[in-house]
Amino acid sequence: MGVADLLSPQRIELNLSLQDKQAVLERLVELESRGDAIIDLEAFRRDMMAREAQGGTAVEAGIAVPHAKSSAVRYPSLAVVTLKKGIDCGALDGVPSDLFFMIAVPADAELHMAVLARLTTLLMEPEFLQQLRKAATPEEFLHLVDEFEQRLPQLDSKWQEAPTATVLAVTACPTGIAHTYMAADALERAGQHLGVTVKVETQGAGGTKNKLTPQEIRQCTAVIIAAGREVDMSRFQGIKVLRVSVNEGIYRAEELVQRAASGDAPVYGGVDLPREVERIGVRSYRQLMNGVSHMLPFVIGGGILTALAFLLDDMSLGYAHFGSNTPVSAWLRAIGQAALGFMLPILAGFTSVAIADRPGMMVGFVGGALAASGATLAAPEGSGAPAGFLGAMIAGFAGGYLMVGLKKLLDRLPGTIEGIKSILLYPVAGLLMVGLFMCLINPFVGALNSALYGSLQVLGPQSRIVLGALLAGMMSIDMGGPFNKAAYLFGTSTLAALATGQESDVMAAVMIGGMVPPLVIALATTFCKSCFTPEERKSGAVNYILGLCFVTEGAVPFAASDPLRVLPACILGSAVAGGLSMLFGCAVPAPHGGIFLCPVMINPGGYLAALAAGSLAGMLLLAVLKKNRTILREH
Amino acid sequence: MVCAKTTVLHESGLHMRPAQEFVSAVANYPCKVVIKVGENCVNGKSILSVMAAGIQKGTPIEICCEGPQEQEALVAALEVLAKV
Repeated sequence: MGVADLLSPQRIELNLSLQDKQAVLERLVELESRGDAIIDLEAFRRDMMAREAQGGTAVEAGIAVPHAKSSAVRYPSLAVVTLKKGIDCGALDGVPSDLFFMIAVPADAELHMAVLARLTTLLMEPEFLQQLRKAATPEEFLHLVDEFEQRLPQLDSKWQEAPTATVLAVTACPTGIAHTYMAADALERAGQHLGVTVKVETQGAGGTKNKLTPQEIRQCTAVIIAAGREVDMSRFQGIKVLRVSVNEGIYRAEELVQRAASGDAPVYGGVDLPREVERIGVRSYRQLMNGVSHMLPFVIGGGILTALAFLLDDMSLGYAHFGSNTPVSAWLRAIGQAALGFMLPILAGFTSVAIADRPGMMVGFVGGALAASGATLAAPEGSGAPAGFLGAMIAGFAGGYLMVGLKKLLDRLPGTIEGIKSILLYPVAGLLMVGLFMCLINPFVGALNSALYGSLQVLGPQSRIVLGALLAGMMSIDMGGPFNKAAYLFGTSTLAALATGQESDVMAAVMIGGMVPPLVIALATTFCKSCFTPEERKSGAVNYILGLCFVTEGAVPFAASDPLRVLPACILGSAVAGGLSMLFGCAVPAPHGGIFLCPVMINPGGYLAALAAGSLAGMLLLAVLKKNRTILREH
Repeated sequence: MVCAKTTVLHESGLHMRPAQEFVSAVANYPCKVVIKVGENCVNGKSILSVMAAGIQKGTPIEICCEGPQEQEALVAALEVLAKV
């Protein structure tokens, strides 16, 4: 091991006719790209030119050694250019330079010195220089270097260990706002401290930054995945991977980097091979959170535009289409609803991706879309009874595990058809399977929906207060599923039975039931901070607006990530509000619009009081339920 | 001959730039300049030799000058090494 090992005939060009130093440097940088020592050629070129600008690198006796310590370099590499006729590069002894050795080394001072010293030791031999200048071919040149180097004592310096350890990392947390970046910082700092090159890809809410390239992945020592949700693992096949939580990435960064740099990590071999032992609950939560975190922007963007549509609409144009009377509000509402329409496919799709990696994506998306349309075998276009977010959660898990099963099944097929698996078999078989599955589930949802609607109609003149509480509570049970839709349909039917502009107290109770859940979330994230992660708290504030505008969807990401606590609280809050709304005799003339209906409703004061009371009741229950939440938190 | 012991303070050792600076500081004196690193003696007027010695930060070295203006050369050498 020595200088000769850092060279390659590809990176030697002899007897060129170049006119100035800049041309030589450009040529050398180009040569350095022939090999895989340079991670980022542009960055390396910049570092090289920056070094050159600090002072010439011509040495003496016609030798110049342009060099750069650069983080864009993976391990030491040399490139050589010799010129027919030397050019003046400002050498101290005034001799024109004709022998250029470019040194590329990682950002490691000791290593740089070791390479520089070894190379210059060789170059001190006048006989060696003389022969080098006579070399006719790159092979001959390299052979000379090797031959003369044999005469030197063996090296024992650290660069024999090159290539140096390079550790890659991917960080991701469910919401992608804070922890992703904290972990990235911690890992990079640990790398600097330990003298290990660390590159971190962050998969945050704003997208992926500092993406790892396939080449980097191929050549790294190990990859650290510090994630609170699933990340696409398919590109790490055959690479040593350490999988930990985001928190470990933050608090145990040095230990992780050290372990990764020493290569102490299992080789990743696909979804079915051993990963960290993880409780099923924790794993399912992480998979689900992958869906929820991707769904959030759709809910917030779509919800706020829908709210704006009501704000900017002109109520005097009619109640029936309130929210889309004017062209502006109609437009806002349309694109808002378009975004909200993606909620369920995104939730199911990314849950499924978390389970089955990329092959799971298509089946998850389609499963979610089928949950939203309520398609059945008899009514493939959609039954009018959507399965809601709970259905989409089922679709996501079902899609993911169907694909995992399918992959296992197809593993037995001969290797020759490996190529068509992912482009033909997975999509086609997966689509058929998830389509069948959802169409077999949806009829039950539809039947439940019809049964609920039917029983509401025959409920007869019960106590109005009980009816109001029941309908409002149903709005919260599944926030878009069969219960919600049955209640809403019942509400609008009472409205339709009245003359236009007449107020319905049932509709008022139904609407308030859909307004409470986001408000419960918003209040809880404000007044019960310890129950939520910082990211949840940030997105919670938006729910004030969404709740007041009757955009129930705002609560869905929270409900999906912790249904057993959030749903009971929301149901209670809605029921309280719905009962009170009836008690106060509130009534509305339109099926949507939230508080914007206040000017035209009966007893708006009572309505607001009912809304506040229900939201507070829900918040209190949520605070109590969440108090004992011990697992599945980012902290 | 005059000699003085010192320590290399440069963060990255006597790499190319410090070596160039060192050599240009002593090049104009007619005396011989030698840097002793452990058992090794290197020619202090050749950038190649200084770099070849691969002197890392914190390494104790001894500088010896011999010949005309040896005193001045030694002072110049020590000055340039102290100027980090």
